[in-house]
Amino acid sequence: MATSLLDSITAGLKTWARVNSPWAIHFNSGSCNGCDIEILATLTPRYDLERFGIKLQGSPRHADVLICTGPVTRQAHDRLLRIYEQMPEPKFVVAVGSCALSGGVFEGLYNVIGGIDQVLPVDAYVPGCPPRPEAIIDGVAKLLASLSNPGPKLSTPASGAPAESAPAAEVAEEVV
Amino acid sequence: MMNTEELLAAAGALLEPWTVEKTTPEEGRVDIVVEADHLIEAVTALVNAKWGYLSALTGLDLGPEAGRMEALYHFCHYAAVLTLRVRLGRETPVLPTVCGVIPSTSFFERELSEMFGITVEGTPNTDHLFLPDNWPTDTYPLRKDFDASALRAQDENRG
Amino acid sequence: MTQPVEKKGDRFIIPIGPQHPALKEPGHFEFTVDGEMVTDATVRLGYVHRGIEKGVESRNYVQNLYMLERICGICSHTHAMVYAMGVEKLAGVEAPPRAQAIRLIVAELERIHSHMLWLGVAAHEAGFDTLFMYSWRDRETVMDLLEALSGNRVNYSANLLGGVKFDITPDQVKDILEGMAFLEERNRHYLEVVMNDMLLLGRIRGVGTMSKADAERLGAIGPTGRASGVARDVRLDAPYGAYRTFKPVLMLAETGDLEGRFNVRLREIMDSIRLIREAVTALPEGELTTRMPRRIKEGETVSRVEAPRGEAFYFIRSNGSEMPDRIKVRTPTIFNMATVLTLARGHQLADMPMILVGIDPCFSCNDRMVSLKRQGEEAAGGDAVAGPVMTWNEFRKAVMR
Repeated sequence: MATSLLDSITAGLKTWARVNSPWAIHFNSGSCNGCDIEILATLTPRYDLERFGIKLQGSPRHADVLICTGPVTRQAHDRLLRIYEQMPEPKFVVAVGSCALSGGVFEGLYNVIGGIDQVLPVDAYVPGCPPRPEAIIDGVAKLLASLSNPGPKLSTPASGAPAESAPAAEVAEEVV
Repeated sequence: MMNTEELLAAAGALLEPWTVEKTTPEEGRVDIVVEADHLIEAVTALVNAKWGYLSALTGLDLGPEAGRMEALYHFCHYAAVLTLRVRLGRETPVLPTVCGVIPSTSFFERELSEMFGITVEGTPNTDHLFLPDNWPTDTYPLRKDFDASALRAQDENRG
Repeated sequence: MTQPVEKKGDRFIIPIGPQHPALKEPGHFEFTVDGEMVTDATVRLGYVHRGIEKGVESRNYVQNLYMLERICGICSHTHAMVYAMGVEKLAGVEAPPRAQAIRLIVAELERIHSHMLWLGVAAHEAGFDTLFMYSWRDRETVMDLLEALSGNRVNYSANLLGGVKFDITPDQVKDILEGMAFLEERNRHYLEVVMNDMLLLGRIRGVGTMSKADAERLGAIGPTGRASGVARDVRLDAPYGAYRTFKPVLMLAETGDLEGRFNVRLREIMDSIRLIREAVTALPEGELTTRMPRRIKEGETVSRVEAPRGEAFYFIRSNGSEMPDRIKVRTPTIFNMATVLTLARGHQLADMPMILVGIDPCFSCNDRMVSLKRQGEEAAGGDAVAGPVMTWNEFRKAVMR
């Protein structure tokens, strides 16, 4: 009884900490830069992502959230996986932009594998070409809101396409 | 300063000894066909005369029926664009490197060899520049008969 | 992701990238070092290689306009414009004067946005985050103007084959002029900061110096070349579109170091502001588009435009069908990248991020609608979603709270 109480308290604490200061890493796996500069713009004074406690981080070892932009190219595929594997559990993936969702205009080109969800399990989708900084913040905020409210994952690489047709910020906690 | 027509005329005179064919596809441009053996001499002549700069190197596959490929060296000088065209066979396309004269050509020559399968003799680096490390050998994406099936097989193996 | 140091003979090779803190785009560099000194550098690109040059051969001319615009999210308008101009030249069609002036205005707004973005990133690499934050805050002014004109902050989709998609109304002219007045004042301040702040000068003065002879030999173009005194600017050398009427001023610096590159880019912003003012006040009347054939007649053409980073070069070959036979895209970064590899030699490893950023590298070079339900309901994206839709201000408030 005592251990389970302790467990639930620490679980609650962990979720609280996770929701209040997630560190994010950004990787461009073949994007045109459009989404990348909008992600960078979220850091700047008008949008100021850091007031949510979100920090953009350089090292995958420090990161909780992987923000991916662009379709996955053949050359970036292994790097993307390697970065994902280096992140500590639990980890979350946000796909930003039309290309990250489905390949976008680059669907079908010889060096493009497809959207991020062909390779990694994605927790939140932010559509747009590119999405506005507000939309990216909204996506990340929705991800955070859902951390305390677990549900099934939107997609797994095996199943390919997202579970629902609406590619929006519906999120779920990773099963650890 | 010379105007565009005079600039092109000067380049034409400069390249006279190696010119196989000379055409004017549109205003402000001249295309000069040279043999691959004379390419370095022609490029050196332009560089020594300080005639513009090498702006781009385009590979062109005319398709399996034509059986030919071309390498296009575009030189720009103000509004004038001079294109040196080198005609190559499709089976064993070979070009000499011009890196000795223009060092920045290295990137373009790497691109030509990986995208078209053109052998550039003497180029300092033939590693892949754009294509992935595990790209199938003898597969050149910008050739007209490029077939992506080998890549799809690779995708399936990955699961 | 910095990997372990690899030893080859008596040299150390430090691999950096493709994911690294300095840049937002992937590129893999290998620096050979002797102590702290870099003795050689190589680069491996291709992490964002998508195969666009092949893809254009199986899409028609109109579809290609949208794909080529997405080569680069920073100079999206440049790519669409250089392509549209090339196809127009092949078809023997000329865009109406008003369309050409609008193309110029969007191109110069884009140049301001790109240079201010660079200013911020370069300041960040120099450890001057205050300047980064300020310049990006002010850059939002340009983004707002571009969004008001086109509806999108990044891919403006201004160009059509044979013209432009949107007009500039008198109200928008007023907004643009107000925005320009604000930006002019801010940029004058930045120019002062960059030229006088001793801490910043310590990181940029005399760093990454490239002589004029080297710049010419290595083929440096755009602001990188102009900072070394190479007087090349396609807008002046081979005037295209509305640049025949509205002439830019060539901005040169002689120093060839990072300070010169800051100087040239900031003065180019000032010149762009002047060009935009001239163009919006003397906007020619007339149509926005002209008729364009679906099939483009056989031929080859070369189209060149001065992108924010230097000359963008397109070679377009048509075989008379609806789809192009070959499009060669040569972006400015490939030239300037060669200069970095040479400049790196003899510099401290710690200067590498600054030198790399100094050239303003750009490794890359449909749906835009987000429908949102009101708060409390499930939010969803994509245009299939029905239900009460937030107004723009509501959306902003909801997100910015």
